[in-house]
Amino acid sequence: MAAKNTLDLSMNKYADVPYEEKERLFEEMKADHRWNHVLYGCYECGICVAACPSARFYDFSPRVIAQAAAREDVDLVYTLMNDSVWDCSQCFSCDRCPRQNSPGQIITVMREVAVKNGLKTAKEALEGYGRIIYKIMSTGTQVSPDMLQPNAFPDWGGHVKDISDNLDVWRKALPPETLHTTETGWQITDKTIIELYLIWHMTGVMKLIEGVDEGLFMILVDVMEERLEEAGYDNISFD
Amino acid sequence: MASDNILVIGGGPTGMEAARGIASLGYKVTLVEKRPRLGGTPDASQYAALTPDLRSAEEAIGEMVDAVTNKPNVNLMLDTTVVGSSGSVGNFKVKAIQSGKEITIDAGAVIVCTGFTHFDPGRETQKYGYYEHDDVITLVDAEKMLKAGNFVRPSNGEKPKRVCFIQCVGSRDRQIGNEYCSKVCCGISSKQAIEIRQVVPDCKVFIFYIDMRMYGYWENEIYWPAQEKYKVNYVKGIATEIVKKGDQLIVKGEDTTLRRPMEVPMDIVILAVGMEPSEGTKKVADIFGLKKNKYGFIETTGGPLNTVSTEVPGVFAAGASTGPSDLEDCVSSAGAAAMKAIASLRAAVPA
Repeated sequence: MAAKNTLDLSMNKYADVPYEEKERLFEEMKADHRWNHVLYGCYECGICVAACPSARFYDFSPRVIAQAAAREDVDLVYTLMNDSVWDCSQCFSCDRCPRQNSPGQIITVMREVAVKNGLKTAKEALEGYGRIIYKIMSTGTQVSPDMLQPNAFPDWGGHVKDISDNLDVWRKALPPETLHTTETGWQITDKTIIELYLIWHMTGVMKLIEGVDEGLFMILVDVMEERLEEAGYDNISFD
Repeated sequence: MASDNILVIGGGPTGMEAARGIASLGYKVTLVEKRPRLGGTPDASQYAALTPDLRSAEEAIGEMVDAVTNKPNVNLMLDTTVVGSSGSVGNFKVKAIQSGKEITIDAGAVIVCTGFTHFDPGRETQKYGYYEHDDVITLVDAEKMLKAGNFVRPSNGEKPKRVCFIQCVGSRDRQIGNEYCSKVCCGISSKQAIEIRQVVPDCKVFIFYIDMRMYGYWENEIYWPAQEKYKVNYVKGIATEIVKKGDQLIVKGEDTTLRRPMEVPMDIVILAVGMEPSEGTKKVADIFGLKKNKYGFIETTGGPLNTVSTEVPGVFAAGASTGPSDLEDCVSSAGAAAMKAIASLRAAVPA
């Protein structure tokens, strides 16, 4: 299948963003405690691209990520942080690098910096995950049939939309009764869900979500605060 | 009458090591050098530090000089140029000019160690403008500045902020006629890149290359540290042209792995010039009737298994007189040539 769109690596793609701002984000990447274990130097040999499933589908190259980071090419790293890192599947097939780089983990760091700094492109890239995040975080580690946004995952194939349109009917067509559900996968105990809410509260996950999707954040806060209050945690605030 | 003396021509690392080896085995050796001092190209071109270990060249070459100066069995003849030869194995009569005076040296065998010369970038077919732009220099020029501990832009004496190397200048080029790889330039550029980063830490350093050839331990001794510790930028793609813009140089090329054209400003451009046979190598080859290859280096006969024998019995060639060589090659082939020269002497002049 042809690539969705072409990655523009021209040097002036983000010429309007001050160099100092790009440098600040790059320094934030380098300050990550994982950095020196995921990036050494890059031969630009392409073994990571050869192993990469996303590279088959998108105009995406884990090599370009590693080489830009290794060259400390601040402009290019900024371009990639905006336009490329979201095409990675985080499968870490690229971890066969002869220099022991991990382009996938470099991307993990880049994504975290992008999210923490609320980059517009990060918000756009994560739009498609709104339902998934809502489902997982409100109901607790659920995978459910209705959590895919059909327009957000072209790599899953065109039939996702058709199935989504009549999800209820499709589910009922499955023989085991346990699969007839659309909204949940299984029952979560009160104790588990309360503990998960508390963990997300204490570890700053909710702050991250607020940075990229304020609407989603507000819906989640409503759900969580109500449930927490019922459980006796009436002094928890997500603001 | 047969001679029990071995003549070594050329007082660079190869010649000094050959002479040292012969003398240490108890044989007589005459070491001739046309310059008034030993040391060869590392000395004449004022190399700063050796590749790959960054040891002081002066100190290392100094040790080699000491090993053949005022030593038993070594007859050192400086300021001496070989101009003719007659005779054959066991009995060469070699004519030379010593300080303006013609002399004859008797030798049972001869080792040619006349080395190389740096490629003159005035002959490159790209448009790098070595003789046009002050800030376009060669590895040799950079080495001199590094030795003096003063790495600055020749045009204005200021510390550079952006420096690049262009690899394979005068090598691997059919248009120039030097189709061979000069073998050492990748390592030397990387070594100098490290040194530049050490002396001018806020200077960005780029290496534009076709292939990086960092064989054996050079890989982890120079290439990886240059990239990983000193953050030298290796960009696959060779510049086609250098133009001046204001007081900077603009290097035009392609960043091939990123599939984009490149026009980048630089304060200093260092041309990684390769090796060509020295004038001495070509002349001495003719004097002894040695076959030269199409590039002018002396042809040895044994392929990879004998790197020092020539078509003329009793005459051997070692080091960069036979082709591009690093110091390890020079010293190794000097040892091989010393052994074979002694063997041919013993065959011709039974002990």
